[in-house]
Amino acid sequence: MLGNKIGVISCSGEECLGGTISRLAVRKMMEELKPGMVSTLCLPLFIAGDGGEREFAEKYPTIAVDGCSKCCAKRAIEKYSNAVAGSVDVAEIIGAAKALEKPLSTRNLTDEHMEYVKQTADKTCQIFDEIIAKK
Amino acid sequence: MSESICVLPCNGLDKCAGDLSRRVALELAQSEEVELICPVLINQNKSRYEKALAAGTLTVIDGCNTRCASKLAGDLELAIKEKVNVSEVAKALDIKLGVEIRDDQDTQAVVRAVLEKINSSAAEQAESEFIEPESIEYNTFSHGKFIFKVPKANYFFNENDCWVTVSGNMARVGVSDYVQQNLSDILYVDPPEIGDEFEQFDDLGSIESSKAVFEIISPVAGTVVAVNTGLNDAPEQVNESPYEKGWLVEVSLSDFEEDQDLLHDCPAYFEFLQRKVAEIDV
Repeated sequence: MLGNKIGVISCSGEECLGGTISRLAVRKMMEELKPGMVSTLCLPLFIAGDGGEREFAEKYPTIAVDGCSKCCAKRAIEKYSNAVAGSVDVAEIIGAAKALEKPLSTRNLTDEHMEYVKQTADKTCQIFDEIIAKK
Repeated sequence: MSESICVLPCNGLDKCAGDLSRRVALELAQSEEVELICPVLINQNKSRYEKALAAGTLTVIDGCNTRCASKLAGDLELAIKEKVNVSEVAKALDIKLGVEIRDDQDTQAVVRAVLEKINSSAAEQAESEFIEPESIEYNTFSHGKFIFKVPKANYFFNENDCWVTVSGNMARVGVSDYVQQNLSDILYVDPPEIGDEFEQFDDLGSIESSKAVFEIISPVAGTVVAVNTGLNDAPEQVNESPYEKGWLVEVSLSDFEEDQDLLHDCPAYFEFLQRKVAEIDV
């Protein structure tokens, strides 16, 4: 069992609502759906080059969860570490137009947004399970 | 806030402080004068924000002392006008943030305090009482490709390469030519607060380049009466004129005669610096 040796990186999410969703989906996965089973990697820290994030993504399978088709998380992993083990694009789940709306503070999220978070987290968990099954 | 402002938060996902940096940034972005900068996208596509950065000033919000947002700004050679560290604000409020992301009274208090810090204009400072000398003459020496200069008189230095020059009971503090050459392009000066009292060799703020952060160790004891606000928009003055236009802090002295015992005068510092440069082979 790989346990928490699978990494998840969400995009930083300041450009659009998709980024907000990606961040919350990764938190949901870490705290509720797969507690203790994944390591979340901080993308700004990953890019800044400190903290062992890059080394982790080089050694272990890492999933990118991006808010829009710019795919900042996926591109950063591929640039600084390794090929991603899987990727999720929130825009493909909630639609590109919705994903490109303005980012929101957590307190302004509606039930609809929370449903998007759930769908994104579920999709990420599915990829996680597939990686585990291959091992 | 009267001018346009670009806000670069760290947006950390792993810690509460990172999340608060994002909350602060989103609050600020309610204003049309504020442009939010994604720390990841700017790294990938700097041109996306070039226009906004050219038209406004940059405020960086770091969540913790890893200072990812500052480092990203430094790597991209962006001039930072203002910088806030969420963890330091929380510490001053005696609030522990931890890892868990939460929205409660404590985190709301931290967000409010960070917003107040960003929105408050610089403290009023009285007109300078420091009388500048008409001209300063320098001694120089070279080592390899570097040429170092040290004033011929009227400056005193500690061994941390910070200087003080005195006018009556007032003094100005700065860093030596050696420091600015080591740091290379200076991007940000983090000064102390006006009214801060400090002892000789206390920390008196910092200056930051894309290469490193340099803690300013005060050569004297006193009270801060002014900071060089010109460095907000032009921190490169520390590089261009470290002993004159690039002064950092103006202070009211406590006891300069006593402080002077532990300082080098200009000829002594000149010799000290020559030895230092030779030893570390700059």
